[in-house]
Amino acid sequence: MSLHAQDDPQLRADQERRLRAVWAPPTGWFGRWTDVNNNRVGIWYTLTAFTFMLFAGVLALIMRTQLAAPGNDLVSASTFNQLFTLHGSMMMFLFAVPMFEAVAVILLPQLLGARDLPFPRLSAFGYWSFLIGGVFVGGSIFFNVAPDGGWFMYPPFTTRTDLSGLGADIWMLGLSFIEVSSVAAAVELIVGVLKTRPPGMRLNLMPLYAWYILVVAVMILFAFPPLIAGDILFEMERLLGWPFFDAAKGGDAILWQHLFWIFGHPEVYIVFLPSIALFAMMVPTFAQRHLLGYPWIVLAAVGTAFLSFGLWVHHMFTTGLPKISLAFFSAASEAVAIPTGIQIFVFIATMWAGRVTWSTPLLYAFGSIAIFVIGGLTGVMVAIAPFDWQAHDTYFIVAHLHYVLIGGTLIPLMGGLYYYWPLITGKKLSDRVGRTAFWFQFVGANLTFFPMHFSGLMGMPRRVFTYPAELGVGGLNMASTIGSYVFAVGVLLVCVDLARSPWRQKSPRNPWNAGTLEWLAHPDDEDWGIRSVPLITSRYPIWDQKNFVRNVDEGRFFLPDAQEGRRETIITSVLDARPVQVIRLGTPSAKPMVTAVALGSVFILTTYHLYWAALAGAVATLAMVLWWLWTGTAEIPEKEEKSIGHGLTVPLYCSGGSSAGWWAMFITMMADATAFSGLVFGYYFFWTRHDDFPPGGPGLDGPGAFWPMVALAVTLASWAMTVAARELNARGAEGAARGLLGAGAIASLAAIGAGLAGPMTTGLEPSLHVYPAIVWTLVIWTVAHNGVGAIMQLYTLARSIAGRMTPRYDADVRNITVYHHFMALTAIVTYATIGLFPGAGS
Amino acid sequence: MKNESPPHESREGDRPRGLRARILALRVTLWTLIVPPTVWAVHFLFCYLWVSVSCAKLGQFPRFTTAFVIGTGAALAIIVAAGAIAWVQSRTPGDPPPHDEGTDIDRLRFIAKSTLLLAGLSFVAVVFTAAPALMLTDCR
Amino acid sequence: MAVPFCLMNGDGQGAPRGVGSGRQSIFSTFGAEAETLAGLTWWMTAGAVVIFVAVATLIVMALRARRNAITHQQGMRLVLWAGGIVPTVVLLSLLVSTLPQMRPIAIAPGDLRVTVEGEQFWWRIRYRPPGAAELVTANELRIPVGRTVALELEAGDVLHSFWVPGLAGKMDMVPGRTNTLVVRATRAGRFRGQCAEFCGLSHALMAFDVIAMEPAAFDRWLAERRGPARDGAATEAGARVFAAYGCAACHAVRGTNAAGTIGPDLTHIGARATLGAGILPMDADHLRRFVKDAPAVKPGARMPAYPHMTNDDATAIARWLESLT
Repeated sequence: MSLHAQDDPQLRADQERRLRAVWAPPTGWFGRWTDVNNNRVGIWYTLTAFTFMLFAGVLALIMRTQLAAPGNDLVSASTFNQLFTLHGSMMMFLFAVPMFEAVAVILLPQLLGARDLPFPRLSAFGYWSFLIGGVFVGGSIFFNVAPDGGWFMYPPFTTRTDLSGLGADIWMLGLSFIEVSSVAAAVELIVGVLKTRPPGMRLNLMPLYAWYILVVAVMILFAFPPLIAGDILFEMERLLGWPFFDAAKGGDAILWQHLFWIFGHPEVYIVFLPSIALFAMMVPTFAQRHLLGYPWIVLAAVGTAFLSFGLWVHHMFTTGLPKISLAFFSAASEAVAIPTGIQIFVFIATMWAGRVTWSTPLLYAFGSIAIFVIGGLTGVMVAIAPFDWQAHDTYFIVAHLHYVLIGGTLIPLMGGLYYYWPLITGKKLSDRVGRTAFWFQFVGANLTFFPMHFSGLMGMPRRVFTYPAELGVGGLNMASTIGSYVFAVGVLLVCVDLARSPWRQKSPRNPWNAGTLEWLAHPDDEDWGIRSVPLITSRYPIWDQKNFVRNVDEGRFFLPDAQEGRRETIITSVLDARPVQVIRLGTPSAKPMVTAVALGSVFILTTYHLYWAALAGAVATLAMVLWWLWTGTAEIPEKEEKSIGHGLTVPLYCSGGSSAGWWAMFITMMADATAFSGLVFGYYFFWTRHDDFPPGGPGLDGPGAFWPMVALAVTLASWAMTVAARELNARGAEGAARGLLGAGAIASLAAIGAGLAGPMTTGLEPSLHVYPAIVWTLVIWTVAHNGVGAIMQLYTLARSIAGRMTPRYDADVRNITVYHHFMALTAIVTYATIGLFPGAGS
Repeated sequence: MKNESPPHESREGDRPRGLRARILALRVTLWTLIVPPTVWAVHFLFCYLWVSVSCAKLGQFPRFTTAFVIGTGAALAIIVAAGAIAWVQSRTPGDPPPHDEGTDIDRLRFIAKSTLLLAGLSFVAVVFTAAPALMLTDCR
Repeated sequence: MAVPFCLMNGDGQGAPRGVGSGRQSIFSTFGAEAETLAGLTWWMTAGAVVIFVAVATLIVMALRARRNAITHQQGMRLVLWAGGIVPTVVLLSLLVSTLPQMRPIAIAPGDLRVTVEGEQFWWRIRYRPPGAAELVTANELRIPVGRTVALELEAGDVLHSFWVPGLAGKMDMVPGRTNTLVVRATRAGRFRGQCAEFCGLSHALMAFDVIAMEPAAFDRWLAERRGPARDGAATEAGARVFAAYGCAACHAVRGTNAAGTIGPDLTHIGARATLGAGILPMDADHLRRFVKDAPAVKPGARMPAYPHMTNDDATAIARWLESLT
């Protein structure tokens, strides 16, 4: 087969008919919501996140109105506290992060010439989780029970049930649910970037957007789990009275601040880098040339990702930690400005070296860079600890963070909206309205936030529902309030522009004359994503590769057909994007939605202390997940391999390190291990806080060394059996492998008993002191993992007996082995810590 | 990434002799790309934990000691080594810049160049981290 | 509820003299650390302005340049120098030059120690002069000019943050920890501080006055205040009503039987310039309102409302409290 094999128009029409049938979206009033295709899910995701942004923006307008004049009484203190808490929480958790994921879900497959993301049903699950969690958290304000502790929910104010009510639980559990879906999206995006690139798109040809998405998704993987660990401790205290943050019982509120900000600072870059990534796509288009310094952008993205994990204590400069500890974080906070600056200069240099085409998205891009630079410069100032001692928790910080987030996230997204709207709808938005809206937003943002630098330095703390005239900041606040309305008008204009879009003319294909793959999209788009998966030899294939668009459209590249009637995309190798497999993608299904509802019910019912109902929800979730996996994953194909054109034949089934599923398991377990390390950090943190740890006495003695070591030995035995089962299965000894999986499951269950026996036999009482509480938490985390491990072993055993796993098709056992490697590691750390660490075993 | 085969696999059969040859034979990958910033991260954590644990448990931290100098020196040395290897490889002869083609050699040079730049940034970041330990020497 | 802030302008040296010079501004300095920080703020701001102008100029030049105005190599040189080398040098110098400012003022054994404890939503203050009895008071901090004072910051219930912008940077108050903030006042005057860490409903209404005094005047004041409330305080009518309503369960008035420690010490309350932790002027009328219905003035305060208290009783208590100077 060569490029000419596609010359026959009849052949092409047949292929298109088959593709169209395979990729046809589901219909019906309910059926349409079972869609899992990235285009559809991405658009729901984007619209939902945008709606939450508008909602959170309205909350901000109410706050600004309250603060317009000193001593104002438009809203009560209680309402105001709910307003600012929900504004921050929604903008961060329900807008900025989900919006990045939503945009990536839409764009990534297009940029990579893939038909869809590798796990479309996982995207749908992520979306439904996000919607349920978001409505739960956001809707709470209508019942006057919104969280009111600030978006970082500092205990002990928020963990004391006499001081903060249901709102704190809604925040913790509702947002934990969304964090889980964010991690799921991160897994999807990492595997997407690494494994679903088109043939020939080596690492050095990857669109920079994909680099940023890769980096940001990896950051999510390491940043969100510590917060999940914190959430666990937090809810243990609120629901069970385990005193992690209660100083009277040995707890320490500072631990929450560590765990929160280990998440919270990378979070800032998690929401900033994807917006910069949009610039990296727009700037070359409007300079009509390749981006200068491609490796520099990679340097900046990777460097920022690393450094951003060394900044968290700069949110804690005033907590009284030793000055030298603060200084390390001050140093890293200064250093992170370097890669950030490099990105901006790469864009400037590219424009300079190129041929500037003026356009609305470009206006947004450079307008937001100007705003962002101000935020960055004040960021360098507050990174200097002594200055931060004055600026911290004042309106100076409010100004700084809004300059960063508006210049680094919001306005870039607006620019991205104007840039990518034709890609999604086939229609351009109005340039005139877009520019007017830009100037409203630009002037509004500056008028709102610039005066706040001064009101902060003149003594106005943040999170105050009012302030005395005596401070002399009344005029500044009035300016801020006026500015916020000007900004709102700008956002409203954008909404109007969007609403008028359906009545507009279709624009030509690739209206900005861009060079990257996503612009293959046609105004009258088909649902198959891309007609044929191209061979890539350039960073800007539409510009550089001859007859590229025509060859793609005429199916002259790879996988131009769907003979078997299946949704398919090509899996390639990580470095050089050599085709290694064709995978069958998930088709529309209600399972992700129902699973999200079931999982959501666990979190929501727990909020209302309906534990039995929550348990039922958990069982339903487990059943749904198993059903989903059983019917939808590691499917044995009807033939070994298939031809994707041009003489290339690739397998339809892979297992182990070259398969997407293995990578997904590995990446998920990295996140799991990170959450666990958050809990372990908690143990050693408390150890540094106490001279006697364990404190000793009734209910406070360590769990001894015996049972922890037994639990460890049994867990390791279970691990060894799983590994042996994998090897024996691969050698064809299916019977022996099944026996080992069964025995492994029994060992896993035994490990639960042995793990719990340690603290139970010594009578550790978790509500007495933080020591027994943290020991119990580590043990419960570990034995819960044993339980999941047992379920996996039994699942794999059942797959083997049912003939869905064979020596040749052994993805299941290879994937659960990854889990058990991490399981073994978890057990080693837990039991060494609670059983062997000096003093612990006594 | 077991299915990955580095470019020029044919050369791997030849036993390189001499240090320079061995360095030339090393191949940068996505994993080696993150060596310099990982070294920064380890150094950073070492500094922070060393100070916080000794301040919390001893009430003071051992004044500026050789351990700190050796640790910082080692970190800088590894970063410089990673950078040097990357520098050599980024100069692998081939077409003129901007090296943005889909060839083995351009992919290699790209990762090498990125590693080199990351080594530069990591070097600077380690120096930044070391500064406080030199200038502030107590637990207040 | 209109928020009843006191408007206390023109009270001595700390009064507003224009933008940036209010009693709670980082620029109206009266402490050694704050003076350094105000200087740091000015020169960092100047640097930021210069950098912003430079970057903005480059952006404008880049966007208005004729096509292909610079070559690939020139572009990369711009990135290397403007994005890499210059920022590295600037940031490293900034870091190295500011690190010494992180060192706190040294404390000597003979220095005055004052424990300030944050409570929802007021400040418990204990002066612990070396070699002398301690003095418990609330919501007004007095310090001697020119002497080193170690403020030991604690929290009773939730997080608070002690911030007197004119004196020094802020420091959090964390339950279970004692954070030390060392200060030295440089001039006398009446200034204001406020809680800077969100602490609940009335976080916005948790302020206090800081009065820097000449050392001799401070010593006299401290000696005087260690005594009980003025003579005969226990015998007045208001005192009896105060006792009858059980106020002593929470409040202490030295020289009477009232010795509660849950709420602020009221021994010399009449001598303070403000009521309710820096939010109301100290007079009988505001005292009456506060005594009768504290939660209306300070949402979330632990002091209950007394809806059945007669106006006469409230007035009697208020008159008596006002007289405790």
